[in-house]
This record gives sequence, C-alpha cells and structure tokens, in this order.
Amino acid sequence: MFNLPTENIGGQELFVLEFGDIVNYFSPYTAALFAFALIFTALAIVSRPERQVDIAFGGDAYYAKEVDVDLLRFQRFMAIACGLATLGAMVSGDVFNFTLFASLVGITNIGIVAAYKNKHVLNAAFQYGIVAMLATVPLFGGAAIILASTGTLSMWELFADGVVVPIIAKAFLVIGVMGEGMAPFYVAKAEITRAQGAPFILMVHVSSLLLFLRVIEIVISM
Amino acid sequence: MKANQSIISRISAAVSRVENLTALYALFFVVVAVLGLVTLPSITYYDDQLYPKTIIPESSLNPYDRGGVPFETTPVKAQYPENSPYVGYVTTYLTPLSQWLADHTHHFGTTIVAHPGGIIDEILYNTRGLDTVVETSILFVAFGIASYLFRRDD
Repeated sequence: MFNLPTENIGGQELFVLEFGDIVNYFSPYTAALFAFALIFTALAIVSRPERQVDIAFGGDAYYAKEVDVDLLRFQRFMAIACGLATLGAMVSGDVFNFTLFASLVGITNIGIVAAYKNKHVLNAAFQYGIVAMLATVPLFGGAAIILASTGTLSMWELFADGVVVPIIAKAFLVIGVMGEGMAPFYVAKAEITRAQGAPFILMVHVSSLLLFLRVIEIVISM
Repeated sequence: MKANQSIISRISAAVSRVENLTALYALFFVVVAVLGLVTLPSITYYDDQLYPKTIIPESSLNPYDRGGVPFETTPVKAQYPENSPYVGYVTTYLTPLSQWLADHTHHFGTTIVAHPGGIIDEILYNTRGLDTVVETSILFVAFGIASYLFRRDD
C-alpha cells in the first residue's frame, strides 16, 4: 500500500513507521538527515562544555571564564530536546506533524540562547524569539491551506501526481521554517555564537540546516 | 553611515543590524502574503475533506459531536484505516459525570479542555496521536524555559 511516488527526490522508502494517519518514512534522503541529527544529538549528550579564555592584550594575562553548572545542565537538556525534535521532523510523513516538530525545534532553540546573561546575546535572542514566534503564523497557515485545498495532510497522498498544492502554501511553509530555524538569518546567529556554550549552541545551527533541507524536499516533492 | 556609500553597502549595513531582523522578516512575510492574496482566487476548497466537520447546533456536545452510540463503533474517516483498527470505538465514550453534564447543560462541548474523561476526540487521540504528543512536548518545553528563567536568580 505504501509506495512513495518515484519522482520524489528522496528516492524510494526504505522503512515505514506508522502512527495511525501519520506514516513516517525513511527514504535515502531523510534517512541520511536522520543519521546526521542522531550523530549530533549523541555528541550533545556525551560532550563536555568548552572553556573560553580571554587574552588580555599587551601582557601574558588571560581570564578563564567559569562554566555555570546550572546553565550547562539547562542547555544540555534543551540541546537534547532540540535534537529529538529534529529527528522527528526529519522523518515525518505528515505536513501538520512536520510543522509541529519545526515549532518544537524553534522553541528549544530559544531555550538554548535565552539562558545566557550576556547583554548582547540576550538582545539577539530576544529578536530571534520574536521571529520564531512570528514564524508559526505562516508555518501553520501553510499547513492549513494545504489541508483546505487538497483535503489531506499525508505526504504520501500529497506527493502523488494528481494533487496540486497551491504555491502560496509551499511559500508559507518555507518562510515558516526559515523563521523557526533561522537558516538564512545569520545576523542573529553571529551575535548568539559570541556566547560560550559549545557544543550546545551548535545544535541551533545543525537543527536549522537540517530542517531547511527537509522542507525543501517536501516542497519540491509536493 | 557615510553619505557617499554605495547602495549595496547601505543595504548590507542595514541587514547586519540585529535590531532590524524582526522588521526584515516581517517585511518578507508581508510581501509573500500579498502575493498569496493575489493568487487567492485560484485556490479552491476541496470538498472531500479527510477530517470533515459538521456542526449540530442543538447538540450539547457541540462542536465535538461525532455521533454514534456508546460501546458501539461509529464510522470515522481516516487516511489509513488499517493503521487504526480501533477507530470509532472511543469517540462516543462519556464518563457518568460527563453524561450527566451533557444531559443537563448545553455547554459540555466547550468544557473539553478542563474536564478529564470528557469527550475523547477520535481524530486527535486515535488517528493522529503523534500530533498530540508533540503539542504537549512544545508546552512542556515552553514551561521548562519559563521556569528556568524565572528561578535563575535564586
């Protein structure tokens, strides 16, 4: 019964995971993205925080910044949650389920960056948070337009030849994911990466890049 | 910003400011939304919806009334019925308290969120169960962030 249309850029499905009407699939493409997300989640779990050092100019002195244990634990929790949300979004076979995972990625990203006390970082995180909240409107709007104009949300039906998805729904989906994952808006990220907290801060970048690759696959296949 | 800068430098300088990020995104969204409004007449509503919704104004379970008799199966549309073998069995279930409320008031359908054991919406909890899990996770993460930020300075 479950056969992905072959012109789909992800290729044929390798493995299908059924949750009622939501049928997740692993094609070579989504399985590769899933593997990347899995690797980075594992790295976030096992790795230790970096220790930043500021060199004082004109002398031999340097300041070693302290690692705040509470901040570390909270960021690790958020990074793992972000990784799990990315895993879900990578293999989701349903448009609405994908948008939910995308907004979960957005809110965990906010959690990672909002925990700092540095003023510049918090300022960037504030702007980032506003954009992520704003992005839920086009994200869920895109899913709603798809449901209204095609009658279904399952990607297995939407990827078929006969189904025409309005271009505006696709554009809304892409804008929504851009806002949630902040993939092209690196201006906020440059400020955010001033903060210490590697490797947890890297989860923000990995999740947004993977999310963007996945939404492109969905939009082209529909 | 100097007056004799090229237009590209000015755009680059404006885009590189974090404070302009929200406005930039909003502008981008508005442009796409306006283009969407232009294409709106070409989008038609698809009549054969997967999750149909009927409002029965006189029902006390409105707007969650999906019909059927308790302990019998009710026809419920699903995308993949073979994945949900028990679809249609829980949609009419009401606890005794819920049944009493439904019999005596006209507003039971609106108490769904506040009342455990109220109407179990088949589409939400049976055929699209993973959505419910993810929605709850979003709320949980949001509460987690809020409580961390609130108690940070203790």
